Amino acid sequence: MVITLIIVFSITLIYLSITERFTVYAGLIGLQGLILFALSLLELRRITLGTLLFVAIETLVFKVIVVPYMLRRIIKKTGQTKVSEHALPGFYSLLFVTVGLLLSIIISLSLKTQLSTLVYFIVSFFSIYTGLFLIISHRKIFSHMVGFLVIENAVLLLSLAIGSEIPMLINIGILLDIFVSVLILGIFVMRLKQHTHELTLLKDD
Amino acid sequence: MIDPTAVFIGFFIITGIIATVTGLVHSKSLARILTIVFTVMHLLFTTYCWLHLGETALGFFTFDPLGVLLLSILSILTITTVYHGFIYVRNDTPRTYAIYHAALIALVFAMSGAYLANGMTVVWIFVEATTIAVAALIYHDRTPASLEATWKYIFVCSVGIALAYIGILFLGFTVRDARLLHLSFDSISGIARLANPLYLKIAFVFVLIGYSTKMGLFPMHTVTVDAHTVAPAPISAFISTTLMNVGFLAIFRIYALFSATSIFQFMNHVLILSGILSLLISSGYMLKAKHNKRMLAYSSLENMGIVAIALGIGGIGYYAAILHIILHSFSKAGLFYQIGQSYKVMGTYQLDDSGDYMTLYPAGATALLLGLLCITAIPPSGMFISELLLLKAMVQGGQYVYLIITAVLLCFVLYALLTRVLHIVFSHPREAKSLNRQQVNPWQTVTQFILFGLVIFICFVQPYQLRELISNIIKVLPK
Repeated sequence: MVITLIIVFSITLIYLSITERFTVYAGLIGLQGLILFALSLLELRRITLGTLLFVAIETLVFKVIVVPYMLRRIIKKTGQTKVSEHALPGFYSLLFVTVGLLLSIIISLSLKTQLSTLVYFIVSFFSIYTGLFLIISHRKIFSHMVGFLVIENAVLLLSLAIGSEIPMLINIGILLDIFVSVLILGIFVMRLKQHTHELTLLKDD
Repeated sequence: MIDPTAVFIGFFIITGIIATVTGLVHSKSLARILTIVFTVMHLLFTTYCWLHLGETALGFFTFDPLGVLLLSILSILTITTVYHGFIYVRNDTPRTYAIYHAALIALVFAMSGAYLANGMTVVWIFVEATTIAVAALIYHDRTPASLEATWKYIFVCSVGIALAYIGILFLGFTVRDARLLHLSFDSISGIARLANPLYLKIAFVFVLIGYSTKMGLFPMHTVTVDAHTVAPAPISAFISTTLMNVGFLAIFRIYALFSATSIFQFMNHVLILSGILSLLISSGYMLKAKHNKRMLAYSSLENMGIVAIALGIGGIGYYAAILHIILHSFSKAGLFYQIGQSYKVMGTYQLDDSGDYMTLYPAGATALLLGLLCITAIPPSGMFISELLLLKAMVQGGQYVYLIITAVLLCFVLYALLTRVLHIVFSHPREAKSLNRQQVNPWQTVTQFILFGLVIFICFVQPYQLRELISNIIKVLPK
C-alpha cells in the first residue's frame, strides 16, 4: 500500500512539471496532501494516538483543504490561469524530470538503507528536484510557490520515514506547513496580485 | 542567585508582553518607552548569561561562549539600532511606528533564542521565527521595491529553511537508533562519529545551503543583498550583521559537531569553495554597483566569504573567523547607519547622483571614511588583524592557490569600495539633479564613531578576556 501511494505521488510530480494550467497545480497539490495524509496514518501507527491524530489532522486540514483552497483563490483573484509563455516546453520538462528521477534513484541506492526507507528517499529527492525545477524554470510567482510546496512535501515525506523513531521531527516539520500556509499564501501573494508576472525591480544594472 | 530557567522564562514572557502591547496599541510614546525597556532588559539578560556561562536553561538553551559572544554583539547593536530607528520612523503613522518596533523586538528575541539554542531543531525554529520578524521590517516603507524584496526574502528563506530541515532529518537518520527525544549538540556529538559518512555529508550540504540564506553566503546570497538594499537603513545595519551571525552560528555548530568525523576535510573543501565563490561574486558586483546600499550589501557577502574560507582553512583561521565576525558586525552596522544618513543629506542612494559629501556633512563624511578604513581592513582597522591571520593560516597550511585567489579578489573589492566611497565624499555628483536634501544633527553620528572606534581599538589591543573567549569557542575544533 505504501509503495503504491509513493508511486502515485511520483506520478503527480511528473505531471506537475509538465502541466501548464494553474488549476491543475492546485488539484495536484491537494492530491499530494491526500497521499501524505494516508501515508501518515499508515506509517505512524506506532507513535502515541495524540501525536498521530495531530499529524493526520494537520495534513488533512492544511495540505488537503487550506492550501489548495488558497491556491484556487489566488488564481481567481489574480486572473492568472497558465504558466508564462516563456516557460520551458512540456517535452523538455519531461526530459529534465526523468533525469531527476534517475539521479534520485542513484543517490538513494548509494545511501544503502532498508527498502522501506529507500522508497521514501527516492521520492523525497525527486520532490526536491522537481520543486527546484519548477522554481528555476518558471517565471511566475505562482509556479515558484507551487515549487516550494512540493519541496515542503518532500520534507514531510522524509520526516514520515523517521517519524516513528523521533516523532518530534514530524511535529517541528509541521511548523513549516503552518508557516507557509499562513504567511506566504495568506498575506503576501494577495498583496502581490498586481505583480504576479515577474519581479524585476531589484537587480544590478 | 536566580535559576537560569526562571530567568529565561521571565525573559520570554516579558518580551512576549512587550512585543504584543507595542504592536497592538498604536501609540508612538508607548512604543518608544517599551522598546527602551526591552533594550535595557536584553542588556541585563546578556549580563546574566555572562555571569552564568556554561549553564543550561529549560533544557534547550545553553549559555555557551559563542552564543553569549554573539548575544553581546546583538545587545550592543540593539542599542544603536533602536536609537537610529527612533530617528528613521519619527514621521511615521502610529500604526507603522508600532509595527516596526514590535517586529524589531520579536527579531531580537528570535535571534537571542537562536544564539543560545543547544539543539539543531531549536536553532531551526528560531531561525524560522527571524524570517517572519524580518519580513515585517523589510516591508516597512511599503514601496513596490520593498514588497518585491520582502516576497523574495520570505520565499528564498522558506526554501532555505526547508532545505536546512532536510539536513536535520538526515542527521536524524544517523542517530535514529539512539531514539533521542531532542537533537541536542551534546547528544549527537558522540553518535555522529559512528554514523554513515554519506548521510553526514548530505546533512552538512543541506544545512549549509539552507542557512546560507541567513548568513548571506553563496549560493543563497541574492536574497540578503536585495533585503539589505531595500530595508530601512537601521534594519539593514542590523540584519547584515546580527542576522548573518545567526546563519554563521548555525553553520558553525554543525561544522563543530562533525569536525571529529571522517567528513571533516569534505566540509573544509565545501566551505572554502562557497567562500571563494562568495568573494568572486561580491567583487564582480561591487565593481558594477550603482547603488550605495547595494554596494554595502555585497560587501557583507564578501566578508561572509572570508569567514567561510577562514573556517575551511583551519588552524589559526578559526581564530580569524570568529574575530572577523565580531569586527565585521561593528564595522558594517556603522557603515549602514552612515549610508542612511548620507541618503538624508544627499537625497539619493544612487552613486551617480551622490557626491560632495564632505562639503555637505563633514562629520558624516569623516565617519564614512573611517568606516571605509575599517571594512577594507586597512590598518589601524581591527579587521586587518583578522585578515592577516587568515593569510597567515593559508601560508602555514601551504594553501598558496587559495592565498593568491583570495588576495586578488580582495584587491578588486578594495578598489571598488575605495573608488566609490571616495567619489561620494570628495567628487561632484555625475548628474546634477534636484534632490530632496535634509540636515542631519552631527550628534546622530556619534554611535558610528563609537563602533568604528571599537574596531580600531581591537587592532592595537585584544583584551585577554576576548582572546580567552575565542580560544574557548574554537577549542572544540581539531588543531
